[in-house]
Amino acid sequence: MSKIEKALSKAREERGNLRLVPIASAGPVPGTALVGDRGHPETIAHMAKNEVRLLGAGDLAQRGIIQSQQGEDPVVQVFRDLRTKIIQQSQGQNAVLLVTSVSKGCGSSFIARNLGAAFAFDLGKTAVLIDCNLKSPSVHKLLANPSVPGLTDYFENPDLDIKEIIHPLGIARYRVITAGKRREILEEHFTSAKMKRLMETMRRRYQERFIIMDGPPMSKIADIRILSELADYVLIVARYGRSTNAQIARCLDVISEKKQLGIVFNEEPRLPRIR
Amino acid sequence: MLPETMSPDQVAKALIAESFHSRRLVVGIFVIVNAVALTAGLLWPKVYTASTSILVDERTIIQPLMAGAAVATDALDRSKNAREVIFGRKIMDFALESGWGKTNPSAEERELLIEGIKKRTVISTVGKNILRIEYHDDDPDRAFRVTDKFAELFMQESIAAKAAESKAAFDFIEKQTQEYQDKLTTTEQELKELRSSTLEVRSGSEGEVTTRLNDLYRRIDAATQELREAEVKEASLERQVSGEAESTAAISRESQYRARIGELQSRLDTLRLSYHDTHPDIVQVKQQIQDLTEGINAERVRREQTKRSGQSESDESVVNNPVYQQLRRERSQNQANIEALTARITELQRQLQDEVGRGKRMHSGDARLAELTRDYQITRDIYQDLLRRRENARVSMNMDSDRQGLTFKIQEPVTLPQSLGGPRFLHFVVGGMLLGVLIPLGLLYARLQLDPRIRIGSAITVTHKLPIVTVVPHLWSPTELKSLRLELVLLTLVMVATIAASAALSAMRVIKVL
Repeated sequence: MSKIEKALSKAREERGNLRLVPIASAGPVPGTALVGDRGHPETIAHMAKNEVRLLGAGDLAQRGIIQSQQGEDPVVQVFRDLRTKIIQQSQGQNAVLLVTSVSKGCGSSFIARNLGAAFAFDLGKTAVLIDCNLKSPSVHKLLANPSVPGLTDYFENPDLDIKEIIHPLGIARYRVITAGKRREILEEHFTSAKMKRLMETMRRRYQERFIIMDGPPMSKIADIRILSELADYVLIVARYGRSTNAQIARCLDVISEKKQLGIVFNEEPRLPRIR
Repeated sequence: MLPETMSPDQVAKALIAESFHSRRLVVGIFVIVNAVALTAGLLWPKVYTASTSILVDERTIIQPLMAGAAVATDALDRSKNAREVIFGRKIMDFALESGWGKTNPSAEERELLIEGIKKRTVISTVGKNILRIEYHDDDPDRAFRVTDKFAELFMQESIAAKAAESKAAFDFIEKQTQEYQDKLTTTEQELKELRSSTLEVRSGSEGEVTTRLNDLYRRIDAATQELREAEVKEASLERQVSGEAESTAAISRESQYRARIGELQSRLDTLRLSYHDTHPDIVQVKQQIQDLTEGINAERVRREQTKRSGQSESDESVVNNPVYQQLRRERSQNQANIEALTARITELQRQLQDEVGRGKRMHSGDARLAELTRDYQITRDIYQDLLRRRENARVSMNMDSDRQGLTFKIQEPVTLPQSLGGPRFLHFVVGGMLLGVLIPLGLLYARLQLDPRIRIGSAITVTHKLPIVTVVPHLWSPTELKSLRLELVLLTLVMVATIAASAALSAMRVIKVL
């Protein structure tokens, strides 16, 4: 890599994702005032003001998150491609996606967070990752302060505002909601009206926002049924050398056919470029 | 599990991905297989092979000369033959003495050694006439000595065996010839005796016997006919004799009485014309008639009595009947004739019996003669044939004893083996390398085939018919990359070390350090 290229890369990294292109405000949607909605939906420009210090390339790599700069990387390409397919499927509208895995350890959290990152690559789109895997949450580990209030706190504490549980991740146009500290909270909350309102609000606040739910594995069939009701599409994650066709078939039986978006076959062995 | 419709290219890709995924297992198996191969190579017994080829020549110059007269031993299936000869106790004992030199090995040791030698010896035929003896041993010197001994002893034994075989054949034929000669002599003797004892029944007298028999039959028939006629005549004469009165006297007295009665009756009739019945004349006449009738009856009774007693009429008034006399004469003549004829027939029948007996004797003599003649001819033919064969066998025997029948020539002499036979150390090294790569690949392929867990993304689309299937490769984090780098370096080092060890051991083997 030449010196000029290095300098450009560094400059891009420094300015990074902060360099946003504000798009026209979608404006408030009439009759959509819900709990937590302060009357006017947030815009990307508004979001940009709330951005904390963005994560560097090293941090992202350490957290297992793809970076737009690594355009050549096949993983990045795969996620971009997946994102495009989803946008095509939703016909340009924002959507709520549930990412679940065939069994535990298939890497649905990895897929969910990187799918969010892929949406955030697009300057005209934003993403929110909600950690719905209450038994073994992972999203909080992405944050510098893992003990921030999350989903369960929101359910338990009526005073908590939505804004207070949505946290910037350090990637432009990418927010996360952790599972929260209250681990004893049962999944029944997912069926509550509060959860429905939360989803609705988030969907409406940003017209270009894609909401990604990092769901529990398919072993928790009840949870998956409830969460898939909240979602527009369900993405099932199978893992190389671990999942079987029988497991996949069982998952597909649980999820309504119109919501089945497809299967992500994760962790295919690949020899990296070692320099 | 691999989908059924996969191209070899896809299979290869899947195999590479799986190899990378299970890299530690692959390297581990490579190292283990190589270690096993090297150990096997080091422990593999050293084998030195010595061999020799023997040309078995049976087409010597003598054979065409003796074609048809002498038979050379057939040498088909020579290797089997050779095996039997070489593995025989005699040659084995020699080999043991020359190869091992143990003074007094126990029976069990001997048995074990012999079994070992048999296992290490390969006897085969190359082409039609070349016999190859191969022997391998861990001692090159002994391999040479044993093989050499095998060849030498085999040739000696074969020639000796062949000579013995020819000798045995000759002896057998000789014995047979002697037996047939004795038989021929016996038959000749019997024939001679038979001929002298049956002079009377010489062949050719059969016609005479038949003529005589016919004559006798004819004469018997004629005599029998005559006898029958005489017997008929006898019966007739007897009838005539019994019907004819012996004398005529009695008959005339009665007729005199009857004539008187008749006269008296006519007188009575005349008197009755004139007188009553009470007239004294008439009464007198009646009295006279009655007296005469009583006289007739008395006469008749007397005659019957006389006839019954057989006495002749004593009455001088009685005269002999001439017809009766004539008949009696004829009858006695006829009786004499019958007796003569009976005697003749008896004699003729005796003669006939004699003649038939003679004929029978003559026939049985003929059959025996024919039998003896036939036996004699057959025995003579066989004897002559045996004589010829005996001479052939004698020539064959002489041929073998002069070593003209079957000759052996060492085509390729035994040499002291210099190099090791069997799989060499290098074979183990190369085999270990190849197997070290192929076995893990084979196992991975088997796992791909049998494991139900999915390893090919495209298989999901085919099975479940879903619109989107994305295959996400592993995202390497910097830490992972670092440890992977280290791991790959280590694995490479292990492989290099394994290969280096193999190479080093091979080199040591070549310079004979090991």
